[in-house]
Amino acid sequence: MNGVPAGSHDAIMERAEQIMALGETARRRGRDPVNQPMINNWVEAIGDRIPFYVDPDAAAGSVHGGIVAPPAMAQVWTMGGLHPQRDPGEPLYAAMSLLDDAGFTSVLATNCEQSYGRYLRLGEELSVTTRLDSVIGPKRTAVGEGYFVTTTNTWYVGEERVASMLFRVLKFKPGAAPAAASPADALRPQVNRDTEFIWAGARKGELRVQTCSVCGRLRHPPGPVCPRCGAAAPSYTVVSGRGSVFSYVVHHHPPLPGKELPLVLALVELDEGVRMVGELLDTAPDEVEIGQAVEVAWQPVDDDLTLPAWRPSPRVVEPDSRVVELVETTHPSVDLPPWELPVTATLIVSGAIATRDFQDVHHDRDLAVERGSQDIFLNILTTTGLVQRFVTDWAGPAALVREIKIRLGAPAYPGDPLSFTGAAQEQVEVDGERRQVVAIRGANSRGDHVTGTVTIAVP
Amino acid sequence: MTISGVAAIAGIGATEFSKDSGRSELQLTAEAVRSALTDAGLAPQDVDGLVTFTMDTSSEIAVARELGIPELRFFSQVNYGGGAACGTVLHAAMAVATGVADVVVCYRGFNERSGSRFGQFSVAAARQVNTNGLDNAWTYPMGLGTPAATVAMFARRYMHLYGATSEDFGRVAVADRKHAAVNPDAWFHGKPITLADHQASRMIVDPLHLLDCCQESDGAVALVVTSAERARDLAQPPATIRAAAQGSGEDQFVMTSYYRDEIGLQEMGLVGRTLWAQSGLRPDDMDTAVLYDHFTPFVLMQLEELGFCGAGEAPAFVADGAIELGGRLPLNTHGGQLGEAYIHGMNGIAEGVRQMRGTSYNQVPDAAHVLVTAGTGVPTSGLILSRDWTRAGHP
Repeated sequence: MNGVPAGSHDAIMERAEQIMALGETARRRGRDPVNQPMINNWVEAIGDRIPFYVDPDAAAGSVHGGIVAPPAMAQVWTMGGLHPQRDPGEPLYAAMSLLDDAGFTSVLATNCEQSYGRYLRLGEELSVTTRLDSVIGPKRTAVGEGYFVTTTNTWYVGEERVASMLFRVLKFKPGAAPAAASPADALRPQVNRDTEFIWAGARKGELRVQTCSVCGRLRHPPGPVCPRCGAAAPSYTVVSGRGSVFSYVVHHHPPLPGKELPLVLALVELDEGVRMVGELLDTAPDEVEIGQAVEVAWQPVDDDLTLPAWRPSPRVVEPDSRVVELVETTHPSVDLPPWELPVTATLIVSGAIATRDFQDVHHDRDLAVERGSQDIFLNILTTTGLVQRFVTDWAGPAALVREIKIRLGAPAYPGDPLSFTGAAQEQVEVDGERRQVVAIRGANSRGDHVTGTVTIAVP
Repeated sequence: MTISGVAAIAGIGATEFSKDSGRSELQLTAEAVRSALTDAGLAPQDVDGLVTFTMDTSSEIAVARELGIPELRFFSQVNYGGGAACGTVLHAAMAVATGVADVVVCYRGFNERSGSRFGQFSVAAARQVNTNGLDNAWTYPMGLGTPAATVAMFARRYMHLYGATSEDFGRVAVADRKHAAVNPDAWFHGKPITLADHQASRMIVDPLHLLDCCQESDGAVALVVTSAERARDLAQPPATIRAAAQGSGEDQFVMTSYYRDEIGLQEMGLVGRTLWAQSGLRPDDMDTAVLYDHFTPFVLMQLEELGFCGAGEAPAFVADGAIELGGRLPLNTHGGQLGEAYIHGMNGIAEGVRQMRGTSYNQVPDAAHVLVTAGTGVPTSGLILSRDWTRAGHP
């Protein structure tokens, strides 16, 4: 082992590099082609009532010209089923095993971001590839010290890429979070009523950008009066957190309170067009490049202060090369009708089975409790389906779903209803297609179960 | 009505430049003001106006008390750190031009090396309870909070846009230190550097090396401003204030104007346009210039903003000794703040005056016009000083 102790950080990173170097796996075929019975099961479990998923006549008259599968089902077609064949070389599995062996035995999914190239038709046969994008850590988190593992799946029909998914989990040692080095040293920002929303968002892991609720201008740093239209009516947008390095420095001297040197600091231009400064994490000083893709990361200092920072972004490979241009923001931002969804054992189990997720924690209460959970809980694919339904119920069947990007939080147990809220935010133009970004949140008594955005094509 | 040619700098004074003055900032200031008045052939009783920086710790009334200046009809403080330097002269000239005051002294004095050092991370800057403190909330808590770091962000972008290199920045340091080497008042008197020295100096905030950064200094400088007419009757040849301007650009911040379409020194571009318009002069008319040099990359960017060359052309402009004595545009002939001392730009104005008097240690022969700028990256200011062109019959 080159003298690197097994289980050490260096050993983990060395092995992770090897797995990453393998790139995309060979394609693995789904068990069944896209088919009506599985769509029917999914639609029943999720409660989706869009006709062109199930009704041949309605589908024939729709823009699709025939039955199509719900986009949120993309992964369902290639799920491993009740008795999955585990390939030890599969990148996510290999990375999980590596971290298990190093003592990071618990797992928490944190992000799931799906992009859909097009709707899938009955009879199409999907195959999927996986690649390991990054293993980043060790990080101190609220649940314990751990590593973030990010993978990308890409789905194909023949040679055509039809969907992709960024998936991130935290592999951690429960409760093993050491105290921050010297939180008392961290410099605290001046905050007033004009700027508080940004710090409140940071505490929740939301990157907020001031948005004029009259003219829609996005602005950072924020202020009380819009310099474009003069309105004193600021609102904010929860932005993607994705951007690129506009400029950067590497601070060597003098010492900085609460920071380890050398410190890489980046001025990042967000995809939405505004710029922000933050520490660039997980990046060696000689690896930074202007133009490099990054995404927001959060540095909790204490209960009151979380600092925005950046980390290299394992960008989802899109089926096309995307040119995204913000064309306008919806003003005033349109709120979706709230949706109160009772969470029952039946919803959890039917959703899990309809999405071919047979992990015991989603259907077997005894085993779920044995694994430290309070009860069975909603699986990610069902949550994704519910998020899609929430938005398409509001937007109507003419709105085509292009992306569902969610961050996962509190588990959803039976008996704890989910309250979905949402707001239509900015519109963007992607390769000539006008798209509406809708911010969503599903919360229960434990906090946010799911937050994120759904992007729909606007007819 | 114009400010051009109405007032002049009639006296300059300074303390020694050191790393540990051993006396209070007020004492340093009182010494420099007295020295400037003596230089002009004036007494404290002649003074009826005082101007300083908002950052200065010696108030106008404290300085007046120490010097026995009986009454003040004009007192003013200019904001934004080193960006205030030429602004103090503008305020003084406006007071003189309007008859509000007759003799106004501009001053700046501090123990910036032995006391509160600007090169350190300033917790106080982030804790100000005002809009500047709120502005700093977007950088300081993240760790971007030293002047070098904030400038390095601009410098990296400039390198990316135009292919500028660290050696290009280094040529400014080499020229400054060459000039300082023959200036007995300079801290680095007798200590020139080479480009190799610059490259070998340690990284402070990549891409800035130690030798891209100005010194930290103790000292004080004062300037006596009065009407051009009265100045002609005083002890020294006047340096006429041919133009004086302040500038703040769109979406302006202090050191962190990072949110404009392209980041740069647009506020200095504004100062330049105003100076050229007021004076009727052009960059080609400048025989020498003192460009604020707290960090070398901003000297290159100023050359472009002021119109000495086009965008991205400064690296070529400073090559081949063009900014050294004998070159096309000798810069910072006192040695600049890298070589002489860091007195927040006020020592550069004094050097501009010496060039107009013909008394610089690095005198540019027959220098008739000098451009002087103040702190960059902040709301800033600038001056064009001319040899007494009315009396000399110079255009």
